[in-house]
Amino acid sequence: MKKVIAGLLSVAMIAAMAGCNKATPTTTAAGTTASGESKPAETTAPAETTTAETTVKATYGEGPVHINLWSFTNEVPNMAQKYIQLNPEFGKKYTVDVTIIATTNQAYQPALDAALKNGEVDMYAAEAAFVLKYTKGDGAQFAAAYKDLGIDVDKAVKDAEIAQYTVDIGTRTSDSALVALGYQATGGAMIYRASIAKEVFGSDDPATVEKEVGGGSGKYDTFWKAAAKLKEKGYPIVSGDGDVWHMVENSSSSGWVVDGKLNIAPERQAFFDISKQLVDNGWCNETSDWQPSWFADMKGLPQEGKDNKSAFCFFGPAWLINYSMKDNCGGKEAPADGNYAGNTFGDWRVCKAPAGFFWGGTWVLASKSAAENADKKAGVAELINWITLDASDKGLQYLWANGLFAPNADGTPGTKDCVASGKVMATANGEVAFLGGQNMFPAFIAANANATGKNMTQYDENINALFREQVNQYAHGQKSIDDAIKDFRSRVADKIGEDGSL
Amino acid sequence: MAKTATLHKESIGLKVVIYIVCVILAILSLLPFFIMFTNATRSTAEIQSSAISLYSAHPIQNLMRNWKVFNGKSFDPSTGFVNSLIVSTCTTILAVYFSCLTSYALFAYEWKLRDAFFGLIVGIMMIPGTVTMIGFYQAAYQVHMTNKLAMLIIPAIASPNMVFFMRQYLQASLSLEIVDSGRIDGAGEFMIFNRIVFPLMKPAIATQCIFTFVGSWNNLFLPQILLTKKEKYTLPIEVALLNSDIYQTEYGSIYLGLSLTVIPLLIIYILLSRYIVEGVALGGVKS
Amino acid sequence: MKSKKLVDYGKYGYLFSIPFILAFLVFSLYPILFTFYIGFSDFAGMTATVKDSKILWSEPFKNFATVFRANLFRKSFGNTCIIWIMNFIPQMGLALLLTAWFTDRRSKVKGQGIFKILFYMPNIITAATVAVLFTQIFAYPSGPINTTLIKLGLSEKGVNFMLTPGRVRGVVAFIQFWQWYGYTMVMLISGVIGINPEIFEAADLDGANRVQTFFLITLPCIRTIMLYVLVTSLIGGLNMFDIPALYAMDRGDAGGYTVNMYIKDVAFTGKQRYNLAAAASIIMFVIIVLLSLVLFYIMRDKDEAKLKKLKKQQLKAAKAKKAY
Repeated sequence: MKKVIAGLLSVAMIAAMAGCNKATPTTTAAGTTASGESKPAETTAPAETTTAETTVKATYGEGPVHINLWSFTNEVPNMAQKYIQLNPEFGKKYTVDVTIIATTNQAYQPALDAALKNGEVDMYAAEAAFVLKYTKGDGAQFAAAYKDLGIDVDKAVKDAEIAQYTVDIGTRTSDSALVALGYQATGGAMIYRASIAKEVFGSDDPATVEKEVGGGSGKYDTFWKAAAKLKEKGYPIVSGDGDVWHMVENSSSSGWVVDGKLNIAPERQAFFDISKQLVDNGWCNETSDWQPSWFADMKGLPQEGKDNKSAFCFFGPAWLINYSMKDNCGGKEAPADGNYAGNTFGDWRVCKAPAGFFWGGTWVLASKSAAENADKKAGVAELINWITLDASDKGLQYLWANGLFAPNADGTPGTKDCVASGKVMATANGEVAFLGGQNMFPAFIAANANATGKNMTQYDENINALFREQVNQYAHGQKSIDDAIKDFRSRVADKIGEDGSL
Repeated sequence: MAKTATLHKESIGLKVVIYIVCVILAILSLLPFFIMFTNATRSTAEIQSSAISLYSAHPIQNLMRNWKVFNGKSFDPSTGFVNSLIVSTCTTILAVYFSCLTSYALFAYEWKLRDAFFGLIVGIMMIPGTVTMIGFYQAAYQVHMTNKLAMLIIPAIASPNMVFFMRQYLQASLSLEIVDSGRIDGAGEFMIFNRIVFPLMKPAIATQCIFTFVGSWNNLFLPQILLTKKEKYTLPIEVALLNSDIYQTEYGSIYLGLSLTVIPLLIIYILLSRYIVEGVALGGVKS
Repeated sequence: MKSKKLVDYGKYGYLFSIPFILAFLVFSLYPILFTFYIGFSDFAGMTATVKDSKILWSEPFKNFATVFRANLFRKSFGNTCIIWIMNFIPQMGLALLLTAWFTDRRSKVKGQGIFKILFYMPNIITAATVAVLFTQIFAYPSGPINTTLIKLGLSEKGVNFMLTPGRVRGVVAFIQFWQWYGYTMVMLISGVIGINPEIFEAADLDGANRVQTFFLITLPCIRTIMLYVLVTSLIGGLNMFDIPALYAMDRGDAGGYTVNMYIKDVAFTGKQRYNLAAAASIIMFVIIVLLSLVLFYIMRDKDEAKLKKLKKQQLKAAKAKKAY
């Protein structure tokens, strides 16, 4: 009996693996068809490549000069691949060797650090959560200034109208040199349910709703009034306190560390009471980000086993719509009967959030060793320029914003996203059906202008987690605010740095 | 008469309790596998709205889509599978053979440093793994030995845990008389170990094979740091990579990857499970 | 007679241990020595290199003092011990109970083969999968457990399993228990099978009942394997990392934060103080060694120890004779 089961399983496994080998040549087609419903980065190759191009490789191009590219997802490597497809002569000069290490288990940074020390990296990607370490913190010494690659950054940044906060984050403190830039702009807006707005505020028009919630005011009192109004009809204004946190975190007047000491900005201090208010007044559903109950609120359904109503709004950048909300709204097109419970596609609109903020993003850096290598320098510069600064209709950002990086199989634009270049954004068309045909770009561009990257530190990711846990303890009545702050300070000192000497 | 009746009743009562407990535990053991396999046939949105469910609206269609996503990433699952198989198989073979040899040295011979050596082995077992790993990977970077599968395999020759276990097993079940009779037949010491002792340790070897193979197959942290080139990835690294997409996680294909990862383990486990059922004699008293 | 032969073959003991020792020297000893060096040095920060670091001669135990002073280290040590005890006692209890049931020679449990196979299965799933599954099962405000509690009217709003330290520890301990009781059972059954059946027959003749047989015969007879299970569980328990790191993290006021998480955090995040991480792991090493010695002492075979002593004395006497 056991042998039989084992035998069956073996056969299944071998069949799967055989299928996998066979499936490889068709990957191109598969990836492209899937791109309409998945994110562009997943598409391994665009439609025009032939089947010969499809063997899975760790390298792109076939030139004599090797460029070592490190990343934590395949997003940036796919851009390099795309560039070589569009510019075959680049592929004849250079070979891009790709190394991808997932950020789970925090494996990417230790490996990258060791490789940087050994001079084995030419180009590397960093996420918002840890980019500061490589632009201003302990790892900044490994980064090459864009200027040293031969790029006229001052002019290029101005010409492309790159969002200021991405420049702030990418500027090294020690010599004020620009060492990193992103391609996405991740300024966040308020993404709300039109049908609920109509019911409670009498109109779903973004301008009206923006006024009701105090959009762009930098204060929360109007927002709380709106929350109370929504509660009268049974709607919590947000899903969980995490939704408000991203706005609070990235709109505060100072960062976690000031002059080497742990600092709690007044805006962040206020989050204690924001969170408690949300919980005590029932203004949220007490969900946590990325958990099923959070996604349930995107679908417009009550929480499983409960009779509450779903949340009014979310706060986030365009990628939140593209990669999370669209897939979790419960449908692919607006419900014909206009009943949005279970399918909220088309029921969402964007307007300015009470405070300007940004959330996430990827920055691209070149290493000093690459800048010092005459062979590699030009190639690295060319790639980085195309990804981060080229605002023409040949540049990556134009393709990215207009959904042309990975178009649908039928040639219609794929996922549209906000990009760092204001010049590209000005001409790009951000009308999407998910938002009932609203052009989403104006709201997000306004957010980019408000967002500030000046108050980040390289320890933010860890300190945020410690802070939010203490806020959670306070909001749920587990400890007093003084104890929570005391414990927070002590944890930060123990985990991040020696007492008081951050 | 009455006494046997109550005894009988008692034992029926006990049996009922035993079966109820066992069935509950069995369900708890199987549930995650069912969830994992079912979720491999569900869409990401379905999984996100309720992760624990045995229902899928379009199983075949979703399975195909999940497979496409898993296979459409820039790495090749079959390469990962082959690498995992190489690492786990070699690790298991080396660990088992050399642990048996070392434990035999500890058991069958009396030598001056024997007790000290045994103490050392037990001592090594106690060193927190995390930090040995930190030193190990920094050393690997210094000597440029990253991206070599051998770096994950060869250290298995020194597996203190297994040596400890094998020594306990030999103490319980091997009589030195067998060794002596081998010597009388004129066999060399190494031959005696290979031809007589090693085969006798089969039940213990089988259980240790399961433990080692599972541990090596599921190992993520060290491979993730040491193997940075796509063509060297193991299966768990590829699954972690699917999981690392910070903006959007394809749960359907992650569960598919996890299911594919667990199937070889199930095969090995079922093939060797005879020894788990029959048990490995490992007690304090020799017969 | 026998002992003389053993002495003759002694060199093979060395010979057969060579591969182990070589692999150990190359792949384990260097990292371990490196760890000890770091623990006494100022090796810290992302760009730290051995060349630039130095041992803190003036204050050799500075790193250790810093670790002991850290509230988080003390807290994580407490957490680790509590979680280990919370999972180990029921795990051992259930494993012993199942062992007693499955090895009872008077009434065989039908289908026990299948049960044994199934009970070990939680151990073959990766920690990452287990953590994801349990995060979903215990999710708040709506997850399978909470939905059930609300439907049964046992709770009005559901239970936030991530809120208090006790709840987080409870879930982590439960996961550990669920993953490892099957393994422990397999080990213990191995021990019972190795017992000479004659002993049980003698007990039957003396009229011992089931419970008496188990506690007075079976348990004492599986002492060596109990020692193995206890020591490995102690080591594994105090080095607990995967499940707490993937499931608990900082949640529940860091109620599920273990020492190994502290070690990894201190080494890889913030100021990357490798020296403190190394010091903390040396401290853990010492604690584990001490506790294991206690276990070895409690579980030692008193008769064997006596026998060994006697043998040594005889050997000495014989040697003395020879020399004379």
